[in-house]
Amino acid sequence: MEKFKSIIRDYPFIAFIIAFVILAFVPSVVFTDVYQSHLATLIFVNIVVAAGLNIVKGYCGQVTVGHVGLFAVGSYTAGTLFLYLGLGFWATLPIAIIVTAFFGVAMGIPSFRLEGPYLALATLGGGEAIRLFIENGNFFRSTFGISDIPTPSLMGYNFDSPDRYYFISMTIMIIAVYFSFSILRSGVGRAFMSIREDPICAAAAGINVKKYKILAFILSAMFAGAAGAVYAHMPPGYIHPNNYTVIEMVTFLAMVVLGGLGHIWGGIIGAIVITIVYDLTRPLYKYQLLIFGLTIVLTILFMPKGLGGFIDRYFLEKRFKKKTGTEKKT
Amino acid sequence: MILKTKQLSKSFGGLKAINKVDFELPKNEIRGIIGPNGSGKSTFFNLVSGIYDSDPGSYIEFDGHDITFTPPHEIASYGLSRTFQLLRLYQDMTVIDNVMSGYHTRVPYKFFDAVIGRKKIWDQERAIKEEMMELLSFVGLADYAELNASELSGGQRRLLVLARAIAMKPKLLMLDEPAAGLSPVNVDNLMKIIMQLKEKYGLTLIIIEHILKVVMDTCNSVTVFDHGQKIAEGTPAQVKDDNAVIEAYLGKKMDDEEMRKALAV
Repeated sequence: MEKFKSIIRDYPFIAFIIAFVILAFVPSVVFTDVYQSHLATLIFVNIVVAAGLNIVKGYCGQVTVGHVGLFAVGSYTAGTLFLYLGLGFWATLPIAIIVTAFFGVAMGIPSFRLEGPYLALATLGGGEAIRLFIENGNFFRSTFGISDIPTPSLMGYNFDSPDRYYFISMTIMIIAVYFSFSILRSGVGRAFMSIREDPICAAAAGINVKKYKILAFILSAMFAGAAGAVYAHMPPGYIHPNNYTVIEMVTFLAMVVLGGLGHIWGGIIGAIVITIVYDLTRPLYKYQLLIFGLTIVLTILFMPKGLGGFIDRYFLEKRFKKKTGTEKKT
Repeated sequence: MILKTKQLSKSFGGLKAINKVDFELPKNEIRGIIGPNGSGKSTFFNLVSGIYDSDPGSYIEFDGHDITFTPPHEIASYGLSRTFQLLRLYQDMTVIDNVMSGYHTRVPYKFFDAVIGRKKIWDQERAIKEEMMELLSFVGLADYAELNASELSGGQRRLLVLARAIAMKPKLLMLDEPAAGLSPVNVDNLMKIIMQLKEKYGLTLIIIEHILKVVMDTCNSVTVFDHGQKIAEGTPAQVKDDNAVIEAYLGKKMDDEEMRKALAV
């Protein structure tokens, strides 16, 4: 066991490969109908977005409310590339990631000057501008949405149903989470955190604040772009501007906040919980937003580090007791 | 000379916070900076570390680099580290993360290695962590390494900030009121630690401090600021008897004639 632990510590991607193998067996063992695979794909897409959002918001502390705009850029890059050039998933995914990265730069530039709620307003404007731009141009087929975006196929095998597409979304999710994991665990993640806590002190400690801020925005935009492309190609392959409103943004925020801002697994836990709750409460759709808004407020009030922080706290206190032999007063 | 300023000035609107200061600091010296509140000591630190831009005509040189218009993170990479009067602790990070973030300028790997998550990265990260744990146990915070910085007491926070500033292995360390708010026993302890660190890392130090005992006991030389100007410089003993210094702190010394006039009114 000890040896296994040290191997995982040196080569964390082995843990991800194990996770991959386990998840690959989930559909055949656990799922009872196709809808559950569809839901799983949605969870994976949300995990990718939330992991990206956690980088910029949880770690770097830049309050962005325009992330859904970047998600839309990813989706619509994939959609229009298919519509006008007939490109498939394997071409649109990387292009969508790159295009969204550029939009991420644009979204991040205001953060040089603005902070907190002011930055939130600026990015909210940015996200909405993207959506309105898509909605009001016939170029993007705004009225009817882009439909029949093809599912990817690999070596003659077409991932054309939700239970097959599951594998595509899962792979992308694992890769994305792995990247976010290794970025945040390294010195880069630490630099992000110190910018969140105190930009002036971070600068005095040798961290290039502007560079790291824009890096956080680019990284999270790339995550959102990848998620957007996966979402666009998801069967039945239909995207419409109405899927990228502020309401979706609130859902993304709820995921990151509930999971734990600045917690390495925060976005992932939150994405799983919120997506499942969102789906179970569909009959109560009138109250969903109310509930999510309330979730954000209550979590920030009573559990500022979210579920992830809550779990961490438990283990930390246990270890502290063991080490010092005293009970820590909190 | 490790630090040199010429005609260093900074004005905020009409107020000349720093007015034409010439300052020179040889290597391995401990320089104390004293002066009444609002005399420009902290502004001087902010100018040197690049947090404020100095006014045109100023010149700052650090270790052979012209750093007059250099952004703070580059100045830090030349080996200048500082602490802040209001600590600026990373409250929501663990103690060990606080110290490790001070290591940033020395992190040996590139960003893309970190993205891919190569083994080398984790090895180096662990080496950094070990080194920083050593530093933490040196200042006596090793037991608290995994707590949040916001959970430390005032004295421990001062020590943590000191450790974070040392983490980058600076050539010059500038301490802005390191002992503010400490009890006399803790002050002695802190100064002892600072002296040991100086020996260990071969530091040059600038210390702003209001507790004169600290300055008189530890500093090789003292610079006195008042109203943005350097009014005296020399060994602690010289400065203590300097008329300009006494005047700045206590007011002007009157002779008998003046005293009689003042009392007669």
